[in-house]
Amino acid sequence: MAGQLESLVDAARTGSGLGTVYRALDELVELYALEDAAVVVDVPGFGRQVLHAGRRPLHDDEHRWHAAEPGLYLQPPLEDPVLSGLMQALSALGFRHDATTSGRAGEPANP
Amino acid sequence: MNVDELELALRALRGVVAVGFTEADGIFIVELQAGAETYDELARDATLLAAQHATGPVAVELVRWGDGEPPQRETRLRLVELTTDPAAGELTVRLARGDEEAVGRASTTGGLPAAVEATVYAVRAFLADLTYLPGWARTVETTPDRRFLVMASITDPIARTHLRGAAEGGTPIEGAVRATLAALNRTISREL
Repeated sequence: MAGQLESLVDAARTGSGLGTVYRALDELVELYALEDAAVVVDVPGFGRQVLHAGRRPLHDDEHRWHAAEPGLYLQPPLEDPVLSGLMQALSALGFRHDATTSGRAGEPANP
Repeated sequence: MNVDELELALRALRGVVAVGFTEADGIFIVELQAGAETYDELARDATLLAAQHATGPVAVELVRWGDGEPPQRETRLRLVELTTDPAAGELTVRLARGDEEAVGRASTTGGLPAAVEATVYAVRAFLADLTYLPGWARTVETTPDRRFLVMASITDPIARTHLRGAAEGGTPIEGAVRATLAALNRTISREL
């Protein structure tokens, strides 16, 4: 557990925002022996976004996360409003950080 | 390749709600999930972005969601082998659906569109009533490391519809075969 947190904190210190979110999702999957995980978040400039553990494709999206409300979705389900809020906050910050460093901040969505 | 930069750029395209990555047969596959508010040229824009960032062969799969039911799981054709016989002036495309394989041939005198033609003929072996006919193929970009981004078009003359796909290949012919599959696969997947 301590090693996982160190790795996540290292990712936040030196890695990208999106990379840190995916690291957090992957560590949740490992820690709770989950089958799957995703976070859904609303981000200004990007709209509603789904981040799936492992950056894996959703394919036919059997859980219909593409249409889900913002939140943390775990399989099997694990209700933790604080964890859900933290993951959404981390995701929003991750997007804002990466958009700023890439020069996309404030840029309207294409086309 | 910086996957974070690619993912951020793809998510900035209008209507994109999810981006995923995987790899199959040495091809880097980018999957986009897009909502109803997306736009017609999303596949083209995503393919150009992916080709700019990827260091090898890349394919883009787009899942569009409207207000309807979720799609059923799809079956896809994959390229197994592509050979040319200069002496016979013939191009052969071998495709597979699971363990089944089929071959399509065309004369190389037709140039790059011959790749589209051979691919369509191979697809027809799996789907005899395929209404699409071979159209054209064009190399739209050559990368500094000599990879070729190709667009291909096929046409249904009865319905008067055109399907277009884009893909990258080590040769223009390979790019044209993969682009033809990219154009067809989603349309025919439920009939395979």
